Amino acid sequence: MAEMWISMGPQHPMTHGLWTLKVKIDGETVVDTEPDLGYIHRGVEKICEARDFTQITPYADRLCYASANTWSHAYIYAAEDLLEVEVPERAEYIRMVAVELQRIASHLMWLGAYCPDVGNLTGMVWCLREREMMMDLLQELGGSRMHYNFPRIGGVKRDLPIGFALRCRAKLKLFLDRIQEYEAILDESTIFLVRTQGVGYAKAEEMINHGVSGPNVRAAGHNYDVRWAHPYSIYDELDWEPSVERPSIKGSDCYDRYRVRVEEMRQSALMVLDGLDKMPGGADTHYQSGDPAILGKAPARAAEGQTGFHHFEDSRGESMFYLAGGGDERGKHPYRVSIRSPMFITIPYASKCMIGYKIADIPAIMGSFDPCIGETDR
Amino acid sequence: MILLATEDVLTIRDWVGIATDFVSENTIGMSRHWEYTDSVSNFLTEFIMCVMVFGGIMTTLLILLWMERKLLGRFMDRRGARTSLRSLWVGENGVTAGEWWNQLPFGTGVPVGMLNQFLNEVAGNDHELEAVSRVKNRSYHGVWWMLPGFFQNLADGMKFLTKEHMVPEKADRYVFEIAPFLIIATTVMCFTFIPLSPNFYSNNSEMSILFLMAIFSVAPLGVFFAGWSSNNKYTLLGGIRSAAQLTAYEIPLLVTVLSVVVLSGSFNLIEVIEFQADSGVWNIFLLPLGGVLFLVAMVAEVERIPFDMPEAEAELVEGWWTEYGGMRWGLMFASEYLRTYAACLLFAHFFLGGWEAPFEDTIPYIHYVPHILWVFLKAWFMFVFFVWFRAALHRVRTDQILEFGWRWLLPLSLVNLAMATALRLWVYDGINGEWPLLIPILITSISLALFILLSVDEDPEALEAQTRPFSVQTVDVASPGQHRE
Amino acid sequence: MGNEVNAKQILSAAEEIVSDVADFGDAVNAEVRYHTSGRRKNAYVYIEVTASQWRELALWLKKSKKVDYCSMITGIHWPENADATWQVVAHLLRTGVTNPAVVNKRVHETKVDIEGISGNEVPLEFEISMTIPETREPSVPSVADIWVGADWNEKETWDLVGIDFDGHVGMRRVLLPHDSPTGYHPLQKQHKLRYHDFNEMYDDAQGFGRKPEDSGRVK
Repeated sequence: MAEMWISMGPQHPMTHGLWTLKVKIDGETVVDTEPDLGYIHRGVEKICEARDFTQITPYADRLCYASANTWSHAYIYAAEDLLEVEVPERAEYIRMVAVELQRIASHLMWLGAYCPDVGNLTGMVWCLREREMMMDLLQELGGSRMHYNFPRIGGVKRDLPIGFALRCRAKLKLFLDRIQEYEAILDESTIFLVRTQGVGYAKAEEMINHGVSGPNVRAAGHNYDVRWAHPYSIYDELDWEPSVERPSIKGSDCYDRYRVRVEEMRQSALMVLDGLDKMPGGADTHYQSGDPAILGKAPARAAEGQTGFHHFEDSRGESMFYLAGGGDERGKHPYRVSIRSPMFITIPYASKCMIGYKIADIPAIMGSFDPCIGETDR
Repeated sequence: MILLATEDVLTIRDWVGIATDFVSENTIGMSRHWEYTDSVSNFLTEFIMCVMVFGGIMTTLLILLWMERKLLGRFMDRRGARTSLRSLWVGENGVTAGEWWNQLPFGTGVPVGMLNQFLNEVAGNDHELEAVSRVKNRSYHGVWWMLPGFFQNLADGMKFLTKEHMVPEKADRYVFEIAPFLIIATTVMCFTFIPLSPNFYSNNSEMSILFLMAIFSVAPLGVFFAGWSSNNKYTLLGGIRSAAQLTAYEIPLLVTVLSVVVLSGSFNLIEVIEFQADSGVWNIFLLPLGGVLFLVAMVAEVERIPFDMPEAEAELVEGWWTEYGGMRWGLMFASEYLRTYAACLLFAHFFLGGWEAPFEDTIPYIHYVPHILWVFLKAWFMFVFFVWFRAALHRVRTDQILEFGWRWLLPLSLVNLAMATALRLWVYDGINGEWPLLIPILITSISLALFILLSVDEDPEALEAQTRPFSVQTVDVASPGQHRE
Repeated sequence: MGNEVNAKQILSAAEEIVSDVADFGDAVNAEVRYHTSGRRKNAYVYIEVTASQWRELALWLKKSKKVDYCSMITGIHWPENADATWQVVAHLLRTGVTNPAVVNKRVHETKVDIEGISGNEVPLEFEISMTIPETREPSVPSVADIWVGADWNEKETWDLVGIDFDGHVGMRRVLLPHDSPTGYHPLQKQHKLRYHDFNEMYDDAQGFGRKPEDSGRVK
């Protein structure tokens, strides 16, 4: 059969977002790929040049809607660098709880989308059900189910609600049991192994050179996690291990990337449980919003010449905000906001990874890299 | 009165024959074309039987579809509208949906909380044994909650009638319109050869199995026509995949059916069932491998998960039938379920003794249960397996499907054929004999032991090296499907 | 316990880099800066370089300092500043882990003994800034062949800011539509936002139907 280009997207159930993947196929084998992004480019970087620093947090939430807290915290740390703000310790713990719960929710969303990619509808329903538990917890923390606007410059919006620690512990313990069920339907299924093992090889050095980071690179045996390599927040006080997979000599395959995320979910759950135990002031005390225990003082203006940036471990990799101060209104607005999205860099690499495999492997490979187009297109 | 296996309380064909004879004698017989009385009466009988069989199948198809919806929902722990109402008060492990009533202003939530407590005590899950609570909450919510879903499929069918069907502009119009006819017509024709009872069938020709399998195999051609003529690269891929897959799985299927035929000694489906009745053992206990092969090959033939690559939503977004709308699509969708139904019925006939009640000779008066009921029960029981596979398994990639079919199923089906031949030639005691009871017991227990051994394969070194919570069987690239070394 | 890299290790690695860069040449200035993160201050290396020396610096960083990861390359437009109208900021990271060992055909995860790492193995952040005076066609050399991760970053910078990258193969529009007008780079400061806050947006009777030439008019 002759070679032909087929276009997967922009409307396609597999692509996990709005983008086009043009694939050149020879029969069933993929010969070439070309990703086409930018369908939901909303001009966030330009908009933020006309917003106060506190007004940018909701925009950061909406960058990757599946993983809102990690993005708003990435922004807040960068803003705190720009404005040189110190954050109280309790606020750091609360932020950690929010970020790690969000990481679990994001990975569950990923797994819930990955299972139907390889054909299993049951996994989707189960993962989304668990995600509902996480979203309930995040709703209690942040006020809404998806875009929380939770951190403030200098701290957090509000403290853990009363009874949150109890519910969080119960739900996370249930969740840790449920992870074993997912592993049962996936790890112990020969069909899943046959679909994901040996598919989509990616080597670690190549990935680092291409700018891929996060779970994708940890699946290749490279133990690089921004949380311990460029440390921030209170991760050193918690009991956790970065989840690193041991791939074969050919590189990491889809199965390794899947395993890393499942282990990460487990580690995040353990981190939150640990953090609740170690929270200064106790997880059951509740400070009012604005209390200095959870919100430090922060200036509202940044002069020209001041810059701030922060590398952050987002669910999908290493994300970064770069802020240059001195914008409108005598520094109340930033002059430039530059957002580094891990997926923007990973999607072209993942598209290269697909060459040589079959069409049916495209969703398996693309899904295993966990694309989220909101942050890609900004 | 002892009824033989081939006799039934409901001798529908005879009754219809009596009625048509009566009608035809009193109409044609009285006229000057009286020599055509018998032929008219026969024709009417055949016609009415066809209609009744088809009507019965289509009506019970609703049951099949209903079973699928509800079973899938239960397997996926997914609740429908009525049972999700229950989730508002029922939680698990003490974790509820969140005490949302406490957020209501002015304390209006307090009575809601009390109602919640009451409902939890009455209909909730505060059983002492946590396992029971989990089961109650997770899967079983009671049968009566499920019944309202029964007419959903009828509504779906009516909906299809109201939708527009379009022919894409550059599509090959004639082929596009013929393809659904091919698929539906051949699928419905299958049912003429499937007897639902010793006396309720549409056609009992001497080589009914042969013709049945031949008709069943025409549908892949229709599928390929549909995929190719739609002028759509995706449907083309789907059609090609489908053609390849269905062709690949025809052969193990036919060889397995052949093994049953060899064992039973006849190409006639009713005689196969009679053979199982006379010889006292259902074929599945003699040819368990054959049963498994038939099931797997049939799942692939009807393009269900795990073999539904041709329609895979992830890549092909409905695959070969993307461009069809309205009742054309509805009929093709129905044909998928009709073929599944035919597969279940055939499994029941070939391997589970057809309409014979279990332990027919030992339980008294069981002959009086109409045989058609046993047929349907067995078919619906097999359908549960089809749905179970759909809920639990993943989609296998096309080349892996093909490899599996050619490399694994075909040799195994030949082995099965050899076993059937050996059993028939050297073990069977001649016409109307019975199987020595040792043989099926031996075969079944050996097969079960092999199955258990093969499904519990652990690689202890991999287990050691990896410290993963579950034993992952494959450390190297799994087979089948090695494509890149 | 999740060990993490020590602030002291980072500081000493950063100082080492800065002193090595000083040997590099005049056009390159490096210093150790701190960035606040929560309650800690981590050191990072800030380098100012001219556009002509950028590639040399990049190659040196990659080869001898093992900076293997390009995080972001972005551009800023400063129209009031005639000497440095265009600024390109590159953020690089040294992931700091060595090649994992291969045992029994399996790659073992890199067991990092965090206390003991030093020198080129310490993960470190870099911020490199270069400026270009006023010109209609700003351009800096491309480092896409050094770090492939810079490839799409440079595409985005050109697409949105307008700074071209010499030697970059396959420059194209990546976030804006492919048929955007030539010379249209929205993050330049002469392009104004249509609405500055939501009140302006709500008050605009025409909404998005408003044409750019009607800005400022009440219709």
